[in-house]
Amino acid sequence: MMKVDYHVDTIRGHVPPALLDRLLMTVLPELGLVRSAELGDVLAAVDYDHAPYAGGTELVPAMGLGLRRPVAIVDLKRVEALKGIEVDADAGTVTIGAAVTHRRLSDHGAVREHLPTLAAAASRVGNARVRSTGTVGGNLCFAEPRSDLGCVLVALGATAEVRSTRGARTLPIDELIVGAFETSLEPDEILTTVTVPFEPSGMSYWKLQSYERPTLGVALVVTEAQWQITVGAATERPARAAIAAGDTAGLDAFVDGLELSDDMTGPPAYKRSVLRAYLHRVLEAAR
Amino acid sequence: MLVPVRLTVAELLRDRLGLTGTKVSCEMQVCGACTVLVDGDPVSSCATLACDLDGTGVLTVEGLARGRDLHPVQEAFMEANALQCGFCTPGFIMMAVALLDAHPDADRDDVREWMDGNLCRCTGYEPIETAVALAASRLAAATAADGQ
Repeated sequence: MMKVDYHVDTIRGHVPPALLDRLLMTVLPELGLVRSAELGDVLAAVDYDHAPYAGGTELVPAMGLGLRRPVAIVDLKRVEALKGIEVDADAGTVTIGAAVTHRRLSDHGAVREHLPTLAAAASRVGNARVRSTGTVGGNLCFAEPRSDLGCVLVALGATAEVRSTRGARTLPIDELIVGAFETSLEPDEILTTVTVPFEPSGMSYWKLQSYERPTLGVALVVTEAQWQITVGAATERPARAAIAAGDTAGLDAFVDGLELSDDMTGPPAYKRSVLRAYLHRVLEAAR
Repeated sequence: MLVPVRLTVAELLRDRLGLTGTKVSCEMQVCGACTVLVDGDPVSSCATLACDLDGTGVLTVEGLARGRDLHPVQEAFMEANALQCGFCTPGFIMMAVALLDAHPDADRDDVREWMDGNLCRCTGYEPIETAVALAASRLAAATAADGQ
């Protein structure tokens, strides 16, 4: 399709205002907006044709490419209930609103104190612009496999609170992310908060990345007794294993059994080889 | 100002306001050419809807110079030869301004990490890093002089 650029000033006054809008190229098709500060209003609006919208880092390009064609977007950014970061010292958890941006997450004092690995991972999501606007909820609900937060949150045993006008339910992040670009959310449900247990000692996250998204991400919780391993980015969804410390045969079986993606960042054999080498190096050094 | 919901910030700036300093390239939030600052935070104007600007302050590359005096980051880009074709330059400059406003003491590693989401296809990144480091040292010196 030929793309014609008009400068508005060259045609203003020569065409009716309604036509002017059509002549101006816009990347996106016609779109409505639902905007409210009340959670009840946005819950009442959300369905398949009324897409939850916060940072827009995934949704806007997806609409531009025609991959997603909602009638309207439902802005979640003005709902305070979706923007909190709260610490429950008794329960030993941090509850993070779905519309919290990556930058706010990574800069937040309590997150850095209680969830330092998550804060560090959030500080390297995408690029500095994505971190300004992109949100925790958007990252999880878009379910792009090449995500850092999904892997780290699954490793931490985080849970999601999901709401619709029908009520609320709580489920592990591990069950929220079903597959590549696929969650267990119903079309009328939104993710409201993520509750994360304080980080255990011995946790780390490492990623291999040469483009804008990670090629391979590995979250580890290493204790004297056990290696808890969560592999993300190269898998359709985060894959977990708990292996007795020192069981290198078990470790190799886990690595060999993973179904790894084949994409422009490399074939499965390459990713498996990097993963195996990384895990052996780190876990053998920990013994 | 009334804008259609579907209008991106880049379209608002370039097509409606005639502010063509902001460039559009990848339209995927990858290249950084379209960077503008919203309340001081860098965003990709190609992937941000103009309706979200409601109640915010927006700074584009056109807003940096004071009359004929260029911003120290712009001066540094010229002196360090940190551009050739110049297409990516407004985005790099806005990223650098955001970094140095928030972290005036940023070192070269900080610059490299902060700028890793901006693409340049002709100059290469070394002169750009040099320019930002030069601007940082001058801004630090100016701040120190102001403090005396």
